[in-house]
Amino acid sequence: MLLSRGEHWDKGLSTEELQQVMDKVMAWFEGLQEQGKVKAGQPLAPEGRMVSGLSRTVADGPFAESKEVVGGYLLLLADDLEEAVAIAKSCPTLDYGITIEVRPVLEECPVFKRVRDQLALAAA
Amino acid sequence: MNTQKVDYMLLFRGTTWDKGMSPEQIQKVVTDWYAWFERLKEEGRCLGGHPLQNRGKTVSGKGGQVADGPFAESKEAIGGYFYLQVVDEAEAVAIAQQCPGLPYGCEVEVRPVAEMCSVRARAVNDGIITADIFHETIGVR
Repeated sequence: MLLSRGEHWDKGLSTEELQQVMDKVMAWFEGLQEQGKVKAGQPLAPEGRMVSGLSRTVADGPFAESKEVVGGYLLLLADDLEEAVAIAKSCPTLDYGITIEVRPVLEECPVFKRVRDQLALAAA
Repeated sequence: MNTQKVDYMLLFRGTTWDKGMSPEQIQKVVTDWYAWFERLKEEGRCLGGHPLQNRGKTVSGKGGQVADGPFAESKEAIGGYFYLQVVDEAEAVAIAQQCPGLPYGCEVEVRPVAEMCSVRARAVNDGIITADIFHETIGVR
């Protein structure tokens, strides 16, 4: 999964530049789709809520520093982490200050796996 | 009656919530978590979700520099996600409030999925670009 982090990356861009970047991003996304690499991909709206704690408190954003905010995601069908990183490297908005987090998707929760292994070890 | 559904994403933050807990306690939380996920899927309110591995890479800058993530284990790191289809934000928040990890420090970020990236939406809104080329996106279906 690719998580695009950072907002307001368009600051200081002219109309023409902005249009160009948009076109590049679209072409990039469509190219990946044609290659069958995209399982899902969407932007996230800049607003939202944060739920936390024992009392399940609901708070408005901000969720993280502006440059850390997740602005969208791309669920890829890649052979390995290397291929996912290569796809991330080809993202056009990198030039404008976006950071992309590349994270392998798991079928089983790593905490669950750890605890299962621990319990199995204790039982042995 | 308006049955139009909206898409939301829950991002689970915090990959260290199990610290200091016994294996039995952890197993209880994770079992509850899986049951919660299955129930939401059966109800048609959750379309998918996955845990993410506690490792990965960060790509940034013009040259696309690759670094190991700073997100391995922390309070803010995203440990997984659910993709929801709900009536409104209140329903998404109510679902988030059921997260079995909340009492242990896990936080849930509730984010509406957008049709258009916010930069594009702003540009269209400001009349800088036209919305005629609709950027088709694909949700977790």
